[in-house]
Amino acid sequence: MTPNLAPVTITGIGSVSPYGPLAGLIPQRFLEPSAITAWTSPGLRRAFLVPPFRPASVVPGLKTRRLDKLSAWALVASSLALKDSGIDISQVDGSRVAVVFATAFGCIELTEAFYLSAAANGWNGTDPSTFPETLASAPAGHVSMFHGFRGPNVTVSNKHFAGENALLQAASLLRHGQADLAVVLAGDALTQSLYSWYEVAGLLSPACYNSDPLPEAGGFIPSGFIPGEGIAAFVMEPSGRGDVRSEARSYANIRTGRWASGGQPPEIIRQMLGDSVPSLTICAGNGAPCATHPTAALAREISGNNAVIIPPQPFALGLTGAGALFHLILALGSRPTSGQALLLGTAGEGFAALLLELP
Amino acid sequence: MDCLQAGMLSGKCCLQPTKDVYPGFEGTIAQIRELPPLAEDSESRYSRTDQLAVLAAQDAMANSGYDRSALRESGVLMANTVGGLTEIDTGIAKDPAAWFRRPGRLLRGASFPVAHVADVVGEHFGFRGPRCAISVACASGAMSIALAANMLLDEAVPIILAGGSDPLCPFTLSGFNSLRALDPNPCSPFDQNRNGVNLGEGSAVLVLETLAGATARNAKVLAVLRGWAMTNDAFHTTAPQKEGSGLADCIRLSMEMAEVSGDDIGYVNAHGTGTPLNDIAEANAYETAFRGRRHPIPVSSTKSYFGHCLGAAGALEAAITIMAVRSGTLLPTLRLTNPIESPGVDWLRGEVRRQPLPLAMSASSGFGGSNTVLIFGSGLS
Repeated sequence: MTPNLAPVTITGIGSVSPYGPLAGLIPQRFLEPSAITAWTSPGLRRAFLVPPFRPASVVPGLKTRRLDKLSAWALVASSLALKDSGIDISQVDGSRVAVVFATAFGCIELTEAFYLSAAANGWNGTDPSTFPETLASAPAGHVSMFHGFRGPNVTVSNKHFAGENALLQAASLLRHGQADLAVVLAGDALTQSLYSWYEVAGLLSPACYNSDPLPEAGGFIPSGFIPGEGIAAFVMEPSGRGDVRSEARSYANIRTGRWASGGQPPEIIRQMLGDSVPSLTICAGNGAPCATHPTAALAREISGNNAVIIPPQPFALGLTGAGALFHLILALGSRPTSGQALLLGTAGEGFAALLLELP
Repeated sequence: MDCLQAGMLSGKCCLQPTKDVYPGFEGTIAQIRELPPLAEDSESRYSRTDQLAVLAAQDAMANSGYDRSALRESGVLMANTVGGLTEIDTGIAKDPAAWFRRPGRLLRGASFPVAHVADVVGEHFGFRGPRCAISVACASGAMSIALAANMLLDEAVPIILAGGSDPLCPFTLSGFNSLRALDPNPCSPFDQNRNGVNLGEGSAVLVLETLAGATARNAKVLAVLRGWAMTNDAFHTTAPQKEGSGLADCIRLSMEMAEVSGDDIGYVNAHGTGTPLNDIAEANAYETAFRGRRHPIPVSSTKSYFGHCLGAAGALEAAITIMAVRSGTLLPTLRLTNPIESPGVDWLRGEVRRQPLPLAMSASSGFGGSNTVLIFGSGLS
């Protein structure tokens, strides 16, 4: 079946990442992982970490003291994306704005803190202010509260394609008139237990354990991945709506999309594309080392050997399922181009593919 | 479903006092004592969330008349809030790496993300469509059904299994306990003397397909999802907006989608947690949304039978709403002796009421301000 989506446009981008809090595209700068100092380890441990910053210094008046860092970053990233879109929120009907948030692990920082308080004080001595902030949907709830958005508020999770899923769910809400504007966020925070799980599972790159510079070719880091953290936010509007706002820009139009857990990806994607021939494929790897080469191979199978392929970015790879928005942001920043592009991720027999139009 | 219906029609309450969830806890919960065993492959571990979901999906598939091969391209949208927290103990807090190195712990850790349950259901039955988890606190189960309906309209999937699953676990019980939200006795939603919520556990899954698809295969249509809507209060992390305006908007939007008026809705299966703040906000929402109705709107909370199943609640209550529509039976709220004063609401209590029910509504709300409303109609009419 071919999804039947009306085109939607990405009109604003914001992010909190190892590059810091930013509105718009991320300037091209090769990123090295940094040493983890938040917890003690037997030796060097590296990851793509968000540098410390005061959220209120980016978004004046923002109070984040009791929040999981993922919620705090969601507030900052959404504010930056809205600013980037040029939308005057005071003129927007909040009941018509949707928030769609994608995460693989949710508010894991305060989940760990809750376990710590239970370990220290027993289950009867846990902290009431922490508990509601452990919910995976807490960041999206805070975004709605802070901006006064009273439309659908959705949190989705998928191990490999959470970001792509959020983009498609938001497009669907816009298409069905369930919202006029959507703020889409995707991201995760890195914590000790998550890093430990990756480590014990043997998924980490040797680059996590030494300070050697990464190969600048990027993307294809052998034997494992480097965990990352951060959150990206897009403002999405039905295509054409931005035309009425003189200051609106279009980063990309999302024409259609498809994702599945199995089947015949080349056939399904070709069916989705119809007559469209994307000249560019943006690989949205998901952290699994085994997924990088199959994604490129699938891209070549669909678009031919001459297709331009932008490999996954090491930092965005480290975000696992929530990395798609960063893959797109980084690709848009690296290769100014126009025409049709495919945002493509694979995992095992599954895939997610979005057809984009780059203005 | 038959067991659930029979139990509820007989007024059976599953809430029981307990002390055995964790040391020091004393309260009232609804716990499923024994689950039928499920075959797992050696590379996966099913958390209790996963087990409940697989069992409910199995029932739903059997009910749909489809065999497994016909559902191969199905998608899975499973709501939950607990994920694999049932598999993790406080020992992880001090030294996670040491905890994960012990035998079996890596698989336990792998079941932590809320997305795991959707993967388990998909893998267990060999579905190849999209798999996704929805987690919006206590509105999750209902929202999974609403989003699944959107996906069907988008033709992103031909068939989709949507629902929710959440087990009892020390983490959530401790959380609600710390918030002083638990009623130590069996809860009494919408009563003026209500004193909080009782937690329960469970799962419900619906097989959703387009009406055209269902009629083409001569399926037994259990109900038609006529309207749905999602809103957010944008008010407070744990408290609903006192006037219930977010839920009232959600009800209005769902009725607009279904192209019906308040007079057409014969019954509302309420969120009805039994907490002082939720129930008054909800009563206010019904007053606002059904203002102008010829008769007060019949409302009940079935959480009084089996507690609040969190991420599964909206899906379970959708199933109960479908049962109500199909059988024309309106279940009363148990232990409702002194209802909140709300002239626009007909609080169902005492005996089961029997009447034709062309359309009924299920309302869900959750922490973070999310609301979801589903309107179900009977069959093809």
